Amino acid sequence: MRECLDEGILQSYFDGELSRDQMESATSHLASCSICSATARELEGELNLVSTALSHEFDAPVPTESLRARIDAAIAGAQLTNGNRAAVDSPVRGWWQSLSALFAFTPQQSFGYAALVVVLAFAAIFGILQLRKTTPTQSPDYVANSNSDKPAIPSGNGSERNEVALAPKTSDAGIATPAPPKAIRQTVSRKVRQVRPKAADVNDVNSEVAEVKLLPGERSYLQTIAALDSTIKGKGNRPMTPALQAEYERNLALVDRALAATRSAAKKNPNDPEAVEFMFTAYENKVSLLNAVADARVYNRQQ
Amino acid sequence: MSGQARALIDSMAKEFATAATALSFDEAFTLHHRAVFRTARSVVRDSALAEDVTQEVFLRLYRNLDSTPGDDLLRPWLLRVTLNVARNTLRGQSRSMARDDEYHKTTTTESWFPAPEEDYERRLAIEEARRALDKIKEPMRSCLMLKQQGLSYREIADTLALKETNVGSLVARGRKEFARVYGKIGR
Repeated sequence: MRECLDEGILQSYFDGELSRDQMESATSHLASCSICSATARELEGELNLVSTALSHEFDAPVPTESLRARIDAAIAGAQLTNGNRAAVDSPVRGWWQSLSALFAFTPQQSFGYAALVVVLAFAAIFGILQLRKTTPTQSPDYVANSNSDKPAIPSGNGSERNEVALAPKTSDAGIATPAPPKAIRQTVSRKVRQVRPKAADVNDVNSEVAEVKLLPGERSYLQTIAALDSTIKGKGNRPMTPALQAEYERNLALVDRALAATRSAAKKNPNDPEAVEFMFTAYENKVSLLNAVADARVYNRQQ
Repeated sequence: MSGQARALIDSMAKEFATAATALSFDEAFTLHHRAVFRTARSVVRDSALAEDVTQEVFLRLYRNLDSTPGDDLLRPWLLRVTLNVARNTLRGQSRSMARDDEYHKTTTTESWFPAPEEDYERRLAIEEARRALDKIKEPMRSCLMLKQQGLSYREIADTLALKETNVGSLVARGRKEFARVYGKIGR
């Protein structure tokens, strides 16, 4: 070892705490290095000084018998105290034990609870995902379901079908039943004409939707929507240009999809205020869209 | 893999040692009460208080027999508890000294000295050593005292929650400082 030994190594050397290799290396270094050997001699002197100085402290007699007697008495006292305390606390302790017994699982119970926890976790995740699915690009479960068994709805693309689904809902509210959209059907583009249901179809859908329970607060939105719808489709209106009509249909479809998705989520989670709130937001979107279109229609009519 | 195997063996050994300890409170007392008492006395500087501390430490051992480590780790555990209890006792003492009147203060100070049966020179030597020890900072001071009681570096590291590789340097620094201060006091 070329480098000199530091004081920690030297101390360990004297305390016998070095490994065999370190010990051999340190011994050979001390034999060859005058500085380290001088330091080691100094250290040895200090060690003697320390052990002599502290020997009085640590060599003082220890009262073994007295300690033994005290500790035996203390242990006996502790046992006695514990016994008394157990007697006094027994009702409380019994209650605690019965409570803690609930959490003492057997392996079967543990598996059962673990499975329950996993199921609940999945249910929670699914519920959250459902709530998040309020973007208009998602396909609306409710509308798809309500449309699925409608016999008389003409084939059209998905967005058109959505609108059809919501139109009867307005009549479901029982107020301001919209006039059959014949006037519009005669004037608008062929594509839109395909979408419009016949009066018989509307009745079918009405009976079907009537089975759907309305959530509290939904009715007033449906009334408003029905009123706006009838305003937009009123006979005195000039026909929309095909481009405008298509744009309106597209926007309406988007809003309806969002509405259907949120409504489905709110139905599934009636106690979740967020789900219901999302639904009402979708209703408000639809109302504001219809409002804007109705305003424009009324203005055009006045022109 | 070898690390896991070693950990498993260690845990098994610990459990075995714990079981062994649980059976031998008397043995633990016989083996370690001197180290506990001396360590306590080196902190509280009073035989009666050191007895109180020793009693408390062994009561704790008795209460925690199932969870205390056995064999090589028992002494560090006992001394760690000893240092804690002794320091708490000292704090309690200093609080009561601050609260109480002068009479209490003087009697407590006197009780820091060795028992009356010890001769004057011995008392003087102990007092000088204690004054020198008081000048050494922790953890060097505790390292030095525990080393003086014959603990290995590993036991010292376990007792004081230090790295074993640092113990040599700490003992060396404590020893150096003690020699310097004690030399000045002795002159």
